Amino acid sequence: MTLAEQSFADQLEKGAAGVEWRPTGEPSFVCALRAAGRDTFLRTKLPTLKHEDWRYTSLAGLAAQHFGPAARALVPAADLPPAPRLVFVNGRFAPGATDLSGLPTGVRMGSLALALRERPAAVEPFMGQVATARDHAFGALNTGLFEDGALVELEDGVPCAVTLHLVFLTTASGALFAAHPRNLVVVGKGARATLVESYRGAGAYLVNAVTEMALGEGAQVEHDRVQEDGQQAFHLGLLQVSQGARSRFTGQSIALGGQLARVEARVLLGAEGAACDLHGLYVGGGKQVLDHLVYIDHASPRCVSREVFKGVLDGASRGVFAGRVHVREGAQKTDASQVNSNLLLSEDATVDTKPQLEILNDDVKCSHGGTVGQIREDQLFYLRSRGVSEALARAMLTWAFASDMVQRVGPEELRVRVRRAVTGRLANGELLREVA
Amino acid sequence: MLSIQGLKASVAERDILHGLDLEVRAGEVHAIMGPNGSGKSTLAGVLAGRETYAVTAGKVTFEGEDLLALTPEKRAVRGVFLAFQYPVEIPGVGNMYFLRTAFNALRRARGEEELDAMDFLALARERMKLVKMDPSFANRSVNEGFSGGEKKRNEILQMAVLEPKLAILDEVDSGLDIDALRVVADGVNALRSPERAMIVVTHYQRLLDYIRPDHVHVMANGRIVTSGGPELALELEKRGYGWIEKEPPARPAAVEARP
Ligand SMILES: Nc1ncnc2c1ncn2[C@@H]1O[C@H](COP(=O)(O)OP(=O)(O)OP(=O)(O)O)[C@@H](O)[C@H]1O
Ligand SMILES: [Mg+2]
Repeated sequence: MTLAEQSFADQLEKGAAGVEWRPTGEPSFVCALRAAGRDTFLRTKLPTLKHEDWRYTSLAGLAAQHFGPAARALVPAADLPPAPRLVFVNGRFAPGATDLSGLPTGVRMGSLALALRERPAAVEPFMGQVATARDHAFGALNTGLFEDGALVELEDGVPCAVTLHLVFLTTASGALFAAHPRNLVVVGKGARATLVESYRGAGAYLVNAVTEMALGEGAQVEHDRVQEDGQQAFHLGLLQVSQGARSRFTGQSIALGGQLARVEARVLLGAEGAACDLHGLYVGGGKQVLDHLVYIDHASPRCVSREVFKGVLDGASRGVFAGRVHVREGAQKTDASQVNSNLLLSEDATVDTKPQLEILNDDVKCSHGGTVGQIREDQLFYLRSRGVSEALARAMLTWAFASDMVQRVGPEELRVRVRRAVTGRLANGELLREVA
Repeated sequence: MLSIQGLKASVAERDILHGLDLEVRAGEVHAIMGPNGSGKSTLAGVLAGRETYAVTAGKVTFEGEDLLALTPEKRAVRGVFLAFQYPVEIPGVGNMYFLRTAFNALRRARGEEELDAMDFLALARERMKLVKMDPSFANRSVNEGFSGGEKKRNEILQMAVLEPKLAILDEVDSGLDIDALRVVADGVNALRSPERAMIVVTHYQRLLDYIRPDHVHVMANGRIVTSGGPELALELEKRGYGWIEKEPPARPAAVEARP
């Protein structure tokens, strides 16, 4: 452990120890989880480039910082999504900004910390049972230090037609701080839901979020994760999904903000016939590092996984994509495919893309592919020869590359927002008036 | 309108055009023929401003302005249009959005009022009828998955919408069935006017039956080696290109006579 790393861990430890929310009277299973989390983090420490999962993304910039506990803050005037929505500010529940109107019967949504006080029995069977990645430093850190987050529960068979929004706002103020939102989503058998996690903020801070999601048999979930944290922020997100038989999970990860942002999606296809369809788009500029790690655990027969991730990288930004597919011995008739395509818009932009397939039986269909390319000269010339300025032509071609990922965002108002946010980040994106 | 003098150009360190001269006046249609690899598409690309070609000598003026100093998009604004021999597929860019963007970019650059989506759609629909293009092509990505003939029609549609002053048509007839050839030719003829000029690159007399040229030029080895009237195309059709090399060509009088 280097000195810098020590200071990071120390700060977190001290910060956590000093604040008033320090668990008093938490249920014993939570105390046990927290203790295990802290122990794990103090043992694993901050991962270095030697760590298998962190080979391409250095945490040195993060390790050098000193983070305190999250500051108290008022709800910033952000344009909030429609109800029903849960809003958290700096990792704390913000009841004033939360609006649960229109929540259908059979769907519950609220503060996890509150639920731990009022009805821990509802949480105990799931919490820490989905996010089971061993020695996962940031997952462990989150477990040790989380203050609050969302608890979303859908009863069996509930077809929830409204979009459920979870919003995590972070407002930097003076000293650097870390927030560790912790979410639990439990979707009953045959239930259907569309769930959006939005991370927004401005300034420098660390968000270290964990979302655990358990899908019952035949459940169907669309999950959109939109990360628009501040350009100086560190964003670490772990989405861990456990799927029941014949359940369907569709996930989109849009990564736009942060100086360093890592999203990990870990999906356990734990029962027969489950399917997941994961998409992602990262749009980097400046010196941003935008990193995705996707791990799909094909643990049962006849499961399907699809991954399509795209990156647009400008300036001196860097994209990282690691796609792991683990097909276990008993997982016959596995069907897995993975594609990662990248568009580099500048000489200094880079990408590391790495498929990793570990296949332990013969009866599988697995494919992976990907590209790293630039704007094509012939396409650029074709547009320019028709009178389109070079700037607009480049923006059009960049948008053409990325737009199908944006189109996949289901909820209309969110799609419009994402479209604006993505085009807003492209060089000369403001010229794309008609699409945005 | 267009004056090319002593044009030399190279691509990837290889000289392709070896001193080419051509004068095109408003209202004229010039056909350029010549064997494969003689440099016809290179000439077309140089005129449209493709940066992969390096101009190493010569001058090109368009309506008195130095054309070679302009970016491709500025050339389009001045009224130069190239129908590509191989139209480019652009997945993810809608055909109608592309057309409207180009149309309005030209209007804006010329200080004219832009058309909104509704008005433009009306205009585009009318022009699509002209080239007998199915309306469903409006919603597809530019040239993506279009058949060879459909791509050529799409080039002519773009020309009909953008209404250039100088249209350079690089083998618009290749890959067209007989009906499509007629449609494309009708589209081109509908645009003929005393203010416009056209350079029609083709290998076949067939197209020139529909689009009557005022002048026919033969290119070989990066130069225009002979020029004449429409009858020259007929003779080429009968005799091929071999005789031109054997009988040194007459100076292309009609074309190079002026200073
Ligand atoms: N990018 C390039 N790199 C190398 N050589 C090229 C390139 N582009 C063109 N050339 C060469 O330049 C020469 C002229 O090509 P061009 O396409 O202008 O011929 P063309 O007269 O249009 O032929 P065709 O009738 O077959 O269309 C050819 O020998 C071709 O191979
Ligand atoms: Mg050619």
